[in-house]
Amino acid sequence: MGALAYESRPVSEIELVERVMKGDPLAERELYDTYVERVYRLAFRLAGDDDLARDFTQATFIRAFEKIGTFRGESSLSTWLHSIGMSVSLNGLRKMKRQKTREAPIDAAMSIGTQSGEPQPDLKERMAAAIQSLSEKYRAVFLMHDLEGFTHDEISGALGIPIGTSKSHLFQARAKLRAALADFAPEWVS
Amino acid sequence: MSEEKMDEMITKAAASYNAPPAVVPKEEMWAAIMAARSPGPRLIYGSAPRRQSRFVATSTRVWLGAAAAALLVTAGAVVGRWSAPAAVAPQAVASTVRANPTVVEPGQAPPPVTPDLPAEGSAPRNGSRVIEPVTHVASNGSRSAGSNGRSASTGAAALAGRNATSAYQLATLTHLSDAEAMLTSFRSRTDEKMDAAMAKWARDLLTNTRLLLDSPAAADPRRRQLLEDLELTLVDIVQLSPGAGAQDRQMIEKNLDQGHVITRLRTAIPAGMQKGS
Repeated sequence: MGALAYESRPVSEIELVERVMKGDPLAERELYDTYVERVYRLAFRLAGDDDLARDFTQATFIRAFEKIGTFRGESSLSTWLHSIGMSVSLNGLRKMKRQKTREAPIDAAMSIGTQSGEPQPDLKERMAAAIQSLSEKYRAVFLMHDLEGFTHDEISGALGIPIGTSKSHLFQARAKLRAALADFAPEWVS
Repeated sequence: MSEEKMDEMITKAAASYNAPPAVVPKEEMWAAIMAARSPGPRLIYGSAPRRQSRFVATSTRVWLGAAAAALLVTAGAVVGRWSAPAAVAPQAVASTVRANPTVVEPGQAPPPVTPDLPAEGSAPRNGSRVIEPVTHVASNGSRSAGSNGRSASTGAAALAGRNATSAYQLATLTHLSDAEAMLTSFRSRTDEKMDAAMAKWARDLLTNTRLLLDSPAAADPRRRQLLEDLELTLVDIVQLSPGAGAQDRQMIEKNLDQGHVITRLRTAIPAGMQKGS
């Protein structure tokens, strides 16, 4: 344990990690209870689906317990856990996207004739579409920072990018959303 | 409208985007995590978790592919190394006249090299023949092809054993990966018309599952249990007729959930590869 960079970590976190490393089931549960809500919330924000969010959260903790021996304390436990969570979620979503792309021709064929009469999407739908249209890195940073309250430091650790890049991604994401939702500006002013 | 104000409004409006539920299903997820991590068959009766992980560590599949490739390359290299000496054993030298194959008794030195060897590349003299390989007679009268013949054959046997084990392991992992993909597709299918395609896919997998069950790949009791559960699930899917009711499908999905087949498949794949990597 001496090799771990624990100097700036709270004692409780150090003890918790050491107990989990020793295979203490109570410590595992404690770690889970401490972080599960935030991990689940972020997974849900990214996936937009309860089943997927559960899957991602479960996979995150399964992997975290398996890999706890690799935790060196260079970042906080929360950051380390969220980096696993983001990796699991983004990889999972990429996989789903690939699957959907393969199925797209069937879906497109089935939806023929149902598109013409659709009403104009309201703000909520436009917002969802605008966020969806953001690139993965911009969307992740926007959701983490603006919706889930992560700091740039935390985002940097979880996504493995410099803090400046995180700030830049957020700036770009906001700019794209402003452009996409410019129609609504007059409504908001009024 | 200033950018700050607009950003504020956007953030406010975006709050409802993929808004998580107020209550996090902690206990259900914990039960699923414990089920996935516990060894052995994971059949939970009664208060089983609602569903199991449909997704466990996608990136491990990348490792699976890389590890499989590395395994094949390594096996190829090893086979090459072991088979190389046997290939050069019988050397034919076009040179000296020798009426009969030379037989060397135990303890007897091999015949000396004939001093009148022609220069390399020159034509053999009239009446010369290709020399036969020297054959040593063992004390029990049996003949061996060369000094490294026995060790080579022992090594080849060991290699064959190792290769067979690796081949079974690779085949099993590939099969489990395919089965996991099939079952995931089955659960996430959106159209009942896909049932026929699923049944065909399941039939192919069923054949391989049964072959693996009868092979050394099923020697491990946990893997055997997994293959047996997989076999039952695949049989259900194969028997699902295109016009089957929703109840039949739900029954299969319920069995999948209760047996944690998909989760067990997913945990089996990376666990096996991680150990080897």
